[in-house]
Amino acid sequence: MKKFFLLSFLASFLMIGVAIAQNTTVNGKVTDEAGAPIAGASVLVKGTKTGVNSDAQGNFTIAVQANKVLEVVAVGYESRQVSTNAKSFLIVLKQDVKSLSEVVVTGFGGSLIKKELTGNIARVKGKDIEYMPTPSVDAALQGKAAGVFVNSQSGKLGQAVTVRVRGNSSISASSQPLYVLDGVPVTANDNSSYGGDMNPLTDINPNDIESIEVLKDASAGAIYGSRAANGVVLITTKRGKSGKAQITFNLQTGYSEATKRLPMLNSTQYAELILEGAKYNDDADGTPYDDPYSWTSYVKNDVMDYYSYGEWSKDPSKTYDWQDRVFQKGHYRQADLQLRGGNDKTKFFSSMQHLEQGGTIIGNELTRTTGRLNVDQQANNWLDVGISLSLSRTYNKRLPDDNAFSNPLQAVALMPMTPFIDPTTGLDAGTPPGDLNIPLYYNPVLSIKYGSFAQEVFRTFGNTYLKAKLLPGLTFQSEFGLDYLSQNEESYFRSETIKNQTRATNGLGTNTGAFITNYNTNSYFNYTKVAGVHNFNATFGMQYQQSQSRFNFTEGTDFPSNSYQKIASAANKTGGSSSQSDFRFLSYFLRSNYIFNEKYIVSASGRIDQSSRFGKDSRSGFFPAVSAGWIMSNESFLKNFEALSFLKARASYGIVGNAEIGNFPQLGLFTGGAGYTGTGGQRPTQLANSQLQWETTAQFDAGFDFGFFNNRITGEVDYYVKNTTDLLLNVNIPATTGFGSVVKNLGALENKGFEFVLNTQNTVGAFKWNTSFNVALNQGKVTDIQGQVIEGGVSSMNRVVEGYPIGVFFTPEFAGVDPANGDALFFKNTKNADGSLDRTTTNDYNEAQRIVAGDPNPDVIFGLTNNFSFKGFDATIFFNGVAGNQNNIYGMGRYSSASMLYEDNNTADQLGRWQKPGDITNIPQVRLYTVNGSQASSRYIVDGSYIRLRTASLGYTFNSKQLSKYKIDKLRIYVSGQNLLTITKYPYWDPEVNADSFDSNIAKGNDFYTPPQPRTFLVGVNISF
Amino acid sequence: MKIFNLNIKNSIFACIAVGMIAIGCEKKLDVQPYQTLSEDKALLTESDVSGTLVGAYDAVSSAAAYGGDMMILNDLIGNKTNIAFRGTFAALNDAYNTIMTANNSFAAATWSSAYNTINVANNVLENTSKVTSSATRKNSVEGQALFLRASMYFELLKLYAKPFNDGNPATNLGVPLVLTATKAPIKESDYVARATVKAVYDQVVADLIKAESLMPSTNTKFATKWAAAAQLSRVYLMLGNYTEAAAAANRVIAGSGKSMTPEFKNNWFTYINFGGVTPNEYIFYIKVTNQDGANSFNTYYGAPLGAFPGSAGRRDMRIQNAHLNIYETGDIRRAFFTGTSSASRYTLKHLDRFGDVPVIRLAEMYLTRAEANFRNSTTVGATPLADVNLIRKRAGLADLTSVTLDAILKERASELAFEGNNLFESQRLKKSIGTIDWNSPKLILPIPQREMDVNKQLVQNEGY
Repeated sequence: MKKFFLLSFLASFLMIGVAIAQNTTVNGKVTDEAGAPIAGASVLVKGTKTGVNSDAQGNFTIAVQANKVLEVVAVGYESRQVSTNAKSFLIVLKQDVKSLSEVVVTGFGGSLIKKELTGNIARVKGKDIEYMPTPSVDAALQGKAAGVFVNSQSGKLGQAVTVRVRGNSSISASSQPLYVLDGVPVTANDNSSYGGDMNPLTDINPNDIESIEVLKDASAGAIYGSRAANGVVLITTKRGKSGKAQITFNLQTGYSEATKRLPMLNSTQYAELILEGAKYNDDADGTPYDDPYSWTSYVKNDVMDYYSYGEWSKDPSKTYDWQDRVFQKGHYRQADLQLRGGNDKTKFFSSMQHLEQGGTIIGNELTRTTGRLNVDQQANNWLDVGISLSLSRTYNKRLPDDNAFSNPLQAVALMPMTPFIDPTTGLDAGTPPGDLNIPLYYNPVLSIKYGSFAQEVFRTFGNTYLKAKLLPGLTFQSEFGLDYLSQNEESYFRSETIKNQTRATNGLGTNTGAFITNYNTNSYFNYTKVAGVHNFNATFGMQYQQSQSRFNFTEGTDFPSNSYQKIASAANKTGGSSSQSDFRFLSYFLRSNYIFNEKYIVSASGRIDQSSRFGKDSRSGFFPAVSAGWIMSNESFLKNFEALSFLKARASYGIVGNAEIGNFPQLGLFTGGAGYTGTGGQRPTQLANSQLQWETTAQFDAGFDFGFFNNRITGEVDYYVKNTTDLLLNVNIPATTGFGSVVKNLGALENKGFEFVLNTQNTVGAFKWNTSFNVALNQGKVTDIQGQVIEGGVSSMNRVVEGYPIGVFFTPEFAGVDPANGDALFFKNTKNADGSLDRTTTNDYNEAQRIVAGDPNPDVIFGLTNNFSFKGFDATIFFNGVAGNQNNIYGMGRYSSASMLYEDNNTADQLGRWQKPGDITNIPQVRLYTVNGSQASSRYIVDGSYIRLRTASLGYTFNSKQLSKYKIDKLRIYVSGQNLLTITKYPYWDPEVNADSFDSNIAKGNDFYTPPQPRTFLVGVNISF
Repeated sequence: MKIFNLNIKNSIFACIAVGMIAIGCEKKLDVQPYQTLSEDKALLTESDVSGTLVGAYDAVSSAAAYGGDMMILNDLIGNKTNIAFRGTFAALNDAYNTIMTANNSFAAATWSSAYNTINVANNVLENTSKVTSSATRKNSVEGQALFLRASMYFELLKLYAKPFNDGNPATNLGVPLVLTATKAPIKESDYVARATVKAVYDQVVADLIKAESLMPSTNTKFATKWAAAAQLSRVYLMLGNYTEAAAAANRVIAGSGKSMTPEFKNNWFTYINFGGVTPNEYIFYIKVTNQDGANSFNTYYGAPLGAFPGSAGRRDMRIQNAHLNIYETGDIRRAFFTGTSSASRYTLKHLDRFGDVPVIRLAEMYLTRAEANFRNSTTVGATPLADVNLIRKRAGLADLTSVTLDAILKERASELAFEGNNLFESQRLKKSIGTIDWNSPKLILPIPQREMDVNKQLVQNEGY
């Protein structure tokens, strides 16, 4: 009865206003190619406005005259026309692979067909990132979505990744997008206590992902209000499908290596340079070279012979490339099992994954095990319920941050004559009881051999939902989601590491916990009404998010022996702490969409956000957006252009915010942790700002979507302007106040850009060749910081300068080497009376003014994917690249590309130094311990552009005939590689770099002995049953 | 119509549910921090004020202040004769090579740290009325805050301004003088110009005199009136007021009840040897424990040495061969090094990571009294000869029969080497540092670039 009632009600509702003579009733069922029912397919009598929608089982009943044609349309499928001459039939719809028909997720239960979209949303299909050796979803976005800049920063495993959607729109607040996994905003910031920032998105199995949508413009993002200014990344996991359960097993294995080794001086070259420097000093002092107190003698005896355990004088050419000691071939093993199936009422998706990845640097290793179960249940005619649950364990043996002597890559600074093994002890150089003063610096190998730092994260992503059909077209959905991150970090450093871990006399152990519970509820109504040429959709609801972060820490020293490594065994508990920090958001949102006659689309959305992070006087904000689209190709005046299959113009404008400035920035605070040796104390640490609020970004976007030749060529063009005002800024104040800065809404910046996407089916038929290309140009410009000096990065060289992008390199300009005397020269760049710059050179560094010498933000980013298939073979070649950005290599350059200033080994290019009057070179004369050109300057700002063969794969799929006797549906074997080729002028290891020790919004593009990206080779097999 | 009704009910229920969640949530937005306290709740009671005074000690004990960077900079700047710097901190390397630039990071950190301490002290000074348990306690709190503030201004003058004896201190620029606690919002008056060297010294002297009068004679690990007097004796040495210098040093010697540690070596690595008991000779010091505090002396002078289990350090500041020439043969202090060449020689004074950071020792008071008495031809407390011989005796040296100024100064240099006085001593004695003149602007730290950028009232030091 219930069913009858509901159906008749539905039917009667849909029939309102329809009064046509009806002769007969036709029953049908709409399914996909696999036989799974398609719900909500529109069945229309062609040439009329009469139509019905298929129900949850794909069934429909329509009253129609004979000899008419029914047009069946479903989102994501190719439409089909059938004659009504049969009484009952099955209509099978083919999946539509053309991008214009894709369904795009818009957040809070919404979705739109790409061609009806008026905002800018980039969609990356899960299939496109499947089985890539990229452990985190954000890194997998690289080059796949126009306007989304991804920099993996370092070759260390599980490290934070920089993601910028349409440029960097904040100086002090986070510039990372908001990540929403199946409706729940997830914890994506670093919580580690060691090394660089880690990446909590590593806990998501990328192979569970159905699609990733990046909401780029204000129209798409406004429904996330104060959290959308940096873009919103919606991650949707795979759901079940009714039909036969499909089991897919994928196994891949391989190895990774660093993309590059850096040419360093060998022992002979090293001696040549350092002796040249000693000679310079001796000449200056007038000391004979063979004088026992000469610099030359010092360098020979106290440097080269001493640091080589006396080996150098016996064999001056014997060279140890310390890179050999710290780079390694890392293994890669990954197994995935996926199950997908269901029936009319119950659908499920489940997966398991185990990943083991060895780093390309010694000591680095990542293991991840995940499991997921997504179930959707139709409880009855009007109620659907479902649950998504993912459990994961990520175990990461982490490396110290780049700016640590124990960073393995800092071993390149060690002298090439220093043997790996101390001949007096047979142990690694620098291991007690051998001479701790050798090597020159701490031997980082010791921290790997005699120390450990392991991070273990258990992560639960859970989400339950209830969806009720209240009235025809009106649904109510309520979701409760949880993201629980439980992290334990444990370290132990044995006494052998004493030179670095100076407190590890009898062992040093730490244990750190982070527990982050993040609850989220969404409740919203969705109303859809199709009435003839009118198509209306609206969503209204609220969201509440509560995040609680708790941390604890214990540290102990003085262990009975290295066999005891838990703090229970430490005689001294030298450190302990617990802390907590919470934030909350309460939001109401509305989104509506109206389409008239499949030609004109208008959309409006808005959100009211309230947050615990804002000042009492400005707690609530409103974020509206509007957009409109015009499908011009549906106009009669364009119908005659055969080649043009689709053309839509669209524009949007809206206001979104950025609230990621940490918790309690608005309060004036005293901190209680100011005790002095056993007596508790407090001191003022922060000045109040009761008016503090979000950063505001107003974004305009205009663009076209087009399709040619029956949509074999499709694409998008976009132009946008993002104006960010009320920047949340740590405004510097005189330190004489006792404070360094105060958080204020001050200043403005803008990002303008252009995006172009082109997808082509170059050949169809047996040999298929598809190309996807995206390119984006972004020009960021800080327009107003009211004279604030905001610096960061290596030697504070990154700076925020009005009129330039965020974080440009601000440093004196290197003018080469004086051919007459080998002095490093700098352009003065002081202002002349007429306002022009004084371009004369000086060898006095302090006379040279700083200028904008480079920009770490790329002007252009692009991705190019070519897919080929021929019979059973398939191949993918994917390039991505960035251009117009510079990197800063001063961190290492000041020691190792510095004309042998100190005893650090130097890069091989330093052999080109100035030696005698008349020499034309850019490498100044060697002067031991006397700075000559190794000051911070544009000498160390280098081109960071690159084009990289990011992935390439080749596979062969056996056809079902070959396999049927093994009860296998599909078998594919493949080889794939990552980062196989990099085209760049970058002088150090890897242009895709940013030193984790300095990382901030403004400190980008720094290289500080930063490990390069891995080059990975894999073979794999994929079997479906 | 049953379903229909049910659904209507459902939707009403849903609306109510949403509404209730929303109402419940509004209140939830008032989230309070946990490890920190809103400023309006922080300074209400006597214990709040006492706690803030402890906070001032915490501030002054930070690495960039009396945790030791201030003393390290004093020792390191240009001091190539005595120190072989082999560290990698560029800012220290630049200080050593006297090629500092305006954005020297140690100059910035030390400046900020000093003024942070001053602001905490000012917060205490503005709230002493809340200390009501006893007048003695109120005096003690006020005196200690004044002492810490004055000490920081004195250290700032030592590093960022021309010495008092160079040119005209009434016109030479000192540092900004901030004597009130900073309150939000920041105002025009928070952008303070540099006061003259003399004005700042006047404030230091006034604060220290008042502090000495208010502070208690004993005060556990915290500062006593003797610390104020000892600091005052140093200030007077720079001011060339030897009468007051001798008097202040004499008050410490006579009144503090402190005595010289019988064996020189027992003044050092006290954590390793004595579990952190402060030597009786220390007048003012920063206490370090294995849980709290920093000892920059150890960080930069120290080294992990097999012969001294528990020893630690970055091995940055090694000792030159030439330094040994200042000691007489047989001087215990001459042997207070390890290693054989400037590549491997370390002072044994600072091997101890958790050892106290000595700021002023009693031995210095004897040497100050001797010098000041000698210069004034007075014998306040004792004769210069007796004071010098007292120091020499502990160093294993024979008594002198007569004393000269050079002998006193040589003794001072031998006794106090690598305790953070090199720049100050050279400047007050107008003695060059290596080849660099005592009054060279290269020896003076830059006003930090960030301060120059932020505060247009400031004038940069010469040469930056």
